Amino acid sequence: MKKRGLTIVILVILTVIIGVIVVDFLNNRPDRRGENPYALEVDQYKVVDPELISHKETRNFDLGLLIASDMSLYDRALYVSGNSSLVVIPLDGRPATMHEILPRATCLEVDQGNIFVGFSTYVAKYSHEGELLQEWPHLGESTVITNLAIKEDKVFVADAGNRRIVIFNREGEQEGEFEGKAESEAGHGFIIPSANFDLAVNSFGELWVVNTGKHALENYSDDGRMRGYWDKASFDIDGFMGCCNPARITVMEDGSFVTSEKGIVRIKIYDQSGELISVVAPPALFKKERSANEEGKAPEVCVDENGVVYALDFDRDVIRVFEPIESE
Amino acid sequence: MEKKDKDKDKGYNRRSFINNGVRLALGVSVVGTAAFTLQRSASGKDYVWQIDPFKCTQCGRCATECVKAESAVKCVHAYALCGYCDLCGGYFKPGAKLQTGAENQLCPTAAIQRKFIEEPYFEYIIDEELCIGCAKCVKGCSAFGNGSLHLQIRHDLCLNCNQCSIATNCPSDAISRVPASEPYIIKGNFTTEEES
Repeated sequence: MKKRGLTIVILVILTVIIGVIVVDFLNNRPDRRGENPYALEVDQYKVVDPELISHKETRNFDLGLLIASDMSLYDRALYVSGNSSLVVIPLDGRPATMHEILPRATCLEVDQGNIFVGFSTYVAKYSHEGELLQEWPHLGESTVITNLAIKEDKVFVADAGNRRIVIFNREGEQEGEFEGKAESEAGHGFIIPSANFDLAVNSFGELWVVNTGKHALENYSDDGRMRGYWDKASFDIDGFMGCCNPARITVMEDGSFVTSEKGIVRIKIYDQSGELISVVAPPALFKKERSANEEGKAPEVCVDENGVVYALDFDRDVIRVFEPIESE
Repeated sequence: MEKKDKDKDKGYNRRSFINNGVRLALGVSVVGTAAFTLQRSASGKDYVWQIDPFKCTQCGRCATECVKAESAVKCVHAYALCGYCDLCGGYFKPGAKLQTGAENQLCPTAAIQRKFIEEPYFEYIIDEELCIGCAKCVKGCSAFGNGSLHLQIRHDLCLNCNQCSIATNCPSDAISRVPASEPYIIKGNFTTEEES
């Protein structure tokens, strides 16, 4: 009798021990853990008032195996660089054409005369038939060419590595450079914390450069003198957050800006003085879960005369088309 | 008398032989062990645990799962990648004022020091004694900045357990063994990305 009681006690103790081990094992599985006590909640910054959204996504262009680096819109066709290729996608539905270009293009810009393609340290000029016409000189150590803009006979080259804009003529002769410095307090110079440094020439011929470290868009004369600027550093929807925003811009017919942001990815429209007009694409439309290596890349943006925004989504290698929502 | 001496010599020789044999065996084993250890460290075949910052998802478990009371995981700063921003997403709470008051700081232990360099640049220095490896700043830096803040296992603190407790619980499989000759995985610089 005594022996039986002892056996029962031992069995109960063993059952409890095994139970504790099993419960602890199940609770400690990576997918069954409790809340992270150190969690940083950023989802609140991804919420956008639906009233602010002015565009809807209507279609997209799949780029297939092309790993795209940049996009430009000219004469109702999208020009996309990537791998060792330049793809021309007519918007009227005609088949796309592909030209072979030098490898590792980082950016491109197109006008009626030529296609200018930026590589890490130099620019090359192509004909519209894809023929390589010129390779311009390398811009030296630490150069990281991120974007190009064309104004008549000048080509402006954004060099993020050296925080400067280099001015070339169309034949590749360097005519000058500027670092955005001015005597006023605003003219600190370009602060470029990462390889996000964009510029654009609007329909009035004004050169606008993004000073990402100051969350500012700055207007310069052709020879690099600052004429004006606006900035919007804020975690709210009407401003730019993070270290390097807006990472990409383009300009509309009326001089408004379409901005594209990295980190928490979103596309917005601002008027010429920096007031938020609307949101083209909220963060909810872009990839949600990312590892540390997968920072949200700002989509390259182009806009046509009808206000249709074309966004090159680097996460999906797809050109996404956002058309204005018709007001009733 | 002669027989006694003979027996004495015989006993001495046997004991001496055994003693010498044992000494020789011990000597050989000590020298062999030393040579083996030297050879292993010289060839760099030892491995240590390390976090791949490109896989880390900043879940916060490095702070709580290490067998040591003070986690061997600390935040490190890749200065070459940092923008030295005034508005640092790894230092300030989102939406906070740009002032160094504790209520504006993201780090729960105030382990990041903000140091003015020149207008408008600031340097952010990790105080490792205060850092608990919670990755809160890493998430802020990744969400809003360049991702220059990232976690690493510090080998002066790590016990190099046979099975790393954090690795067992890491949801993104970011912790693995790396050669002891290259024990850290530090992020790079965008101007030298292609070369690296």
